[in-house]
Amino acid sequence: MSRLEAKKPSLCKSEPLTSERVRATLCVLKGILTSSYGPSGRLKQVHSGFGGCVCTTSQSSALLSNLPVTHPILKILTTSMQNHVSCFRDCGLFTAILCCNLIENVQRTGLTPTTVTKLNQHLLSLCTSYLKSESCGCRILVDFSSPQTLLCLVRSIVTSKPACMLTREERDHLSALILRAFLLTIPENTKDRLILGNSIIVPLKGQRVLDSSVLPGILIEMSEIQLMKILPIKKSEAFKVALFCASLSGDFSDTGEGTMVVTYGVSLENAVLEQLLSLGRQLVSDHVDLVVCQKVIHPSLKQFLSMHRVIAIDRVGVALMEPLSKVTGTQPIGSIGSISPSSYGSVKDLCPAKFGFKHFLHLIPYEATICSLLLCNRNDTAWDELKTCNEPESILKDDGCTQTELQLSTEAFCSALESVAGSLEHDGGEVLTDMKYGHFWSAHAEAPSIVNWPDLLSRCGCGLYNSQEELHWSFLKSTRHPFVPQTYLPHEATGSADNLTLDCFTAKLSGLQVAVETANLILDLSYVIEDKN
Amino acid sequence: MVMACRVINKRRHMGLQQLSSFAGTGRTFLGPVKSSKFIIDEECHESVLISSTIRLLESLDLTSAVGQLLNEAVQAQNNTYKTGTSTLLFLVGAWSSAAEECLHLGVPISVIVSVMSEGLNSCIKEVVSLQVPIYNVFDHLDSTKTFSGLETFNISLCPFLQIPSDTGLQKERDLNDVASPSLTTYSLSGIPVKSPKLFRRQTEVEADKNTLQNPQTLKNSLLASSHYRKSILIHSRHFNRTANNQWINKPDGFLEQHGAATPNTYRCNDLVELEMGLSHGDHNSMKLVDEAVRLQYQNASIQQGNCTMPFRFDISRIFTCCLPGVPETFSCVCPGFITVVSISNTTLIKELENQPVRVILIEGDLTENYRHLGFNKATNINTLLESMKIQQNSSEEVWTNYVLQVLIKFNVNLVLVQGNVSEHLIERCIHSKRLVIGSVNSTVMQAFAEASGAVQVTYITQVNENCVGNGIYVAFWRSIPSDVIDRINVITIVIKTEGINLVTVVLTSPVTAQMQTKEDRFWTCAYRLYHALREQKVFLGGGAVEFLCLSHLQILAGQSLSKRNHVCSGWLHNTSSWLASSLALYRPTVLNCLANGWHRYLSTLMYNTACCSSEFEASTFIQQHLQNARDSGSPSSYILNEYSKLNSGIFNPSISNKLEQIPSIYDIIIPKIEAWRRALDLVLLVLQTDSEIITGLGHTQLNSHETEGFLFL
Repeated sequence: MSRLEAKKPSLCKSEPLTSERVRATLCVLKGILTSSYGPSGRLKQVHSGFGGCVCTTSQSSALLSNLPVTHPILKILTTSMQNHVSCFRDCGLFTAILCCNLIENVQRTGLTPTTVTKLNQHLLSLCTSYLKSESCGCRILVDFSSPQTLLCLVRSIVTSKPACMLTREERDHLSALILRAFLLTIPENTKDRLILGNSIIVPLKGQRVLDSSVLPGILIEMSEIQLMKILPIKKSEAFKVALFCASLSGDFSDTGEGTMVVTYGVSLENAVLEQLLSLGRQLVSDHVDLVVCQKVIHPSLKQFLSMHRVIAIDRVGVALMEPLSKVTGTQPIGSIGSISPSSYGSVKDLCPAKFGFKHFLHLIPYEATICSLLLCNRNDTAWDELKTCNEPESILKDDGCTQTELQLSTEAFCSALESVAGSLEHDGGEVLTDMKYGHFWSAHAEAPSIVNWPDLLSRCGCGLYNSQEELHWSFLKSTRHPFVPQTYLPHEATGSADNLTLDCFTAKLSGLQVAVETANLILDLSYVIEDKN
Repeated sequence: MVMACRVINKRRHMGLQQLSSFAGTGRTFLGPVKSSKFIIDEECHESVLISSTIRLLESLDLTSAVGQLLNEAVQAQNNTYKTGTSTLLFLVGAWSSAAEECLHLGVPISVIVSVMSEGLNSCIKEVVSLQVPIYNVFDHLDSTKTFSGLETFNISLCPFLQIPSDTGLQKERDLNDVASPSLTTYSLSGIPVKSPKLFRRQTEVEADKNTLQNPQTLKNSLLASSHYRKSILIHSRHFNRTANNQWINKPDGFLEQHGAATPNTYRCNDLVELEMGLSHGDHNSMKLVDEAVRLQYQNASIQQGNCTMPFRFDISRIFTCCLPGVPETFSCVCPGFITVVSISNTTLIKELENQPVRVILIEGDLTENYRHLGFNKATNINTLLESMKIQQNSSEEVWTNYVLQVLIKFNVNLVLVQGNVSEHLIERCIHSKRLVIGSVNSTVMQAFAEASGAVQVTYITQVNENCVGNGIYVAFWRSIPSDVIDRINVITIVIKTEGINLVTVVLTSPVTAQMQTKEDRFWTCAYRLYHALREQKVFLGGGAVEFLCLSHLQILAGQSLSKRNHVCSGWLHNTSSWLASSLALYRPTVLNCLANGWHRYLSTLMYNTACCSSEFEASTFIQQHLQNARDSGSPSSYILNEYSKLNSGIFNPSISNKLEQIPSIYDIIIPKIEAWRRALDLVLLVLQTDSEIITGLGHTQLNSHETEGFLFL
């Protein structure tokens, strides 16, 4: 008997932003995000409350994806931030905080949404054109012939994740490794288009961070006993490789719905196994040296292959399939029926490797842009936090300098940017800006009002300027006289300072745009219609 | 789905408080004398006896976020090194209190983080001076001394802290204790001189075992396990007076004195001495480790012949067999695989004895329905029966017959199976004089594969002539008298073959509840030796390293920041922050708090080892030493000096004879340092956390009293 039930009417709320609850939750969200921002940001423990793993993090990607927000407005915000993060892997918190600030500040002004969105749009274009212009004081061109600037960028990113718990030595080691891994993915012979390879992160939890390393080629993890079975590996010029994405386990899981009736005495298992063995015979007659399977290989097939001195490796997992196919030049084989000889590939060499307590088979390719980054950390929490890779083109120096500078554009918009810059401070210090370059300075909160600033301050946020130059400071968030930030000569400046804090230019710029546009979208909302069925 | 968010450190830091309370539970596990704990489940009235950190955490309810992080850190340490968890747990407690104290004193969090990590790193650099290199310990293995021949003193549990300053009454007290006859009266008298041969035949071993059964031993062990703190603990169980003094006077002793001007250099080139140092009072377990290493070494030198590959201690080829209900003195080490089988196999074993048998090795289960991992069984296949006549045998029967046929065809009398075995098959095999053993450890399988030439297979159908191994001998293992073993209603058998790289350590305990502890302790000793041999160096132990850290930090705290300004500010993540300039202000406070953690560690260690009757007494004792170290100008040479005095006995000739026998205590390096780092990392991670975000929790699921302090999104 079927039963029909009347549909519930949809729920429509007007002016969602005016609701007290939305404001309160937005405020909570902003609080979470701002307190996580920057290298001294506070960490958050994210867990389900029912046991299970606890994620300690201050990263936007982890935070945003783990926040199951309920209200549609917050959903818009988090989704658009997640999109930004998935594209650029950087500046997520900056974007999110800026967006929250914009929404909050605009609501306070009481202007109509249309006016505000138009104004914001205009201000955004002013900012972007300033940032893109040659006169922009916060842009540094990356010199790819020397690693210094790139290293600064990577280091800045690694430093901004306090949950990694790295010492300075470890941080430098890791930054260098990440950079090396990035450089290894750049192909040697570039044609018209530059296609970057990828680096595979191999987890080695429990080991010391300083044991991390980068290797060209692919590491396939296996147990010691498994590895012992395939040793010694016979030497040859090149190893012919067959790569299977189909399961070779010999089961018949795709029997479909319904029941299958088999006559007594007929063994389906044996039939499939016979098919597998004939596949094995073909592989042997094709002189394949290495068979790699994403899923499971039937033990009998494995035995058959090893009797013919073919190395068989199974259960490599889906994540390794694409890099494996790239490195070896194979076409992954999807059926056990027949194999076209064109799908075979090759590798230069195979060797066993041991890192920490894990055993690997190391596939060394002829020429490829794939490398393996063995990432070690003492504990899972810190390891999970270590996931950063970037594609820098042009770099923006950071740590508040940009934000303080940008804010000179116009008043309504600027207090939002100002708050972002201000939220880098978590220990109750005071933020100052100088009147020459517009950079970010930090000072003790209880500093006396009349003080010799050059003695109290040492360097600006990004590390470009020091306090011994003749500068004047003013407190951020105080009234100030407009001034035009001075540009500088990039080469002299970057040459003199070797420990700059840098940000990825494209990521920051996009972050700015995403933040403003999302804020506009949210401000423009007048109705929320919910289907209650 | 509703997300709840809680601010966890408004006024007091809840996370740090939780950490220190969790860590407090493991306080008594610090040091060589561990008091056991009973953990009782109030619901089902079950209880377990535990005496190690890892077992403690297994039994605790650690569902809170901080508890899970703690568990994660301890598990990671245990999985990587199998040692150092008690240190880790204790330091987590000590340093979370230290961090909390800093918070109370108004130190900014970023400063605490940077100064504490700087301080610990500085300590780690400093303690390099206490490393002792290990040289060629296996070169002297042929010498007459064995581990069991050593006379041991309980005082060696904590030697550095035992020896007080040059002035003061305490020295005399301690030294008198050392010299007092009471320490040596527990030697077993009348034991025949031990055979200098390392590998004696079984009968001789048995003879020794029997003589070791002495009520005194039991009494001592009782003393050890109780809360016996009043006087110095006396619990060494392997006294053997006849063998003393042989090893101390070796010309190539590890201690060298290079005149008065240069500091003493230590090195260790003697296996027994190294083992003694690493045993941390658990001589019983270390004696077994020693025998296992020697067996492995002997096997390796036979296998290699004249090839001079350096010997590596392979811990994966040591296997433990636990026999609860058998007196402790029957613990021993034998080459090959010793296991327990049911009594029903007795006649079968008798028939298999004294002849080489052929073996196959099965990786998975040996049952009809077993399929390899990754094989998905289709559920919708029905078999159509055409006539009634073939129903006579069940498919199980058919399969069993097939297995037997294969065994008969290849003349296999022994099947080792990694997984489970069908009961029916076992019975049928017994009738056809074939032994099937299930649940065999994978390294045991590997060892048999290597030694016998067998190839491990998953299915019985895979067996061919190449897979079968030869030359295996199965025999009753009779090192334990039959009346003892009959009592526990099993039979023990030994399976071995020529040159098999496998050593079985048989662990026995009359108390079943203690079996797990015994096994844990054996592995702790084994891993300590393993790590030491792998690193080729050790720390001077007995609290020396921690003492150096303590005094180093106090000196650091006293120094003005000016000359190391640039070094320190590098620890702050952003050097531009105002925090960098105010670092000087807070640095001494934070360093002192960190140092207090070490202080608590040392005083608890002393209290636990019953060196002192109270933690306060221990504390004043450490203070006194600290003062001396500071006065001497160089804490590390002060420590080295104290150590060498202890070992050479130069400062009191009348007792030198006794003091010489106090061996050095050693600690392993990397696991120890990593435990420190892990502990501090965890504390700082929790310190920097300001809120807890709980996902997927509805309003309704939080009790009203819990809702307080939660914000909902």
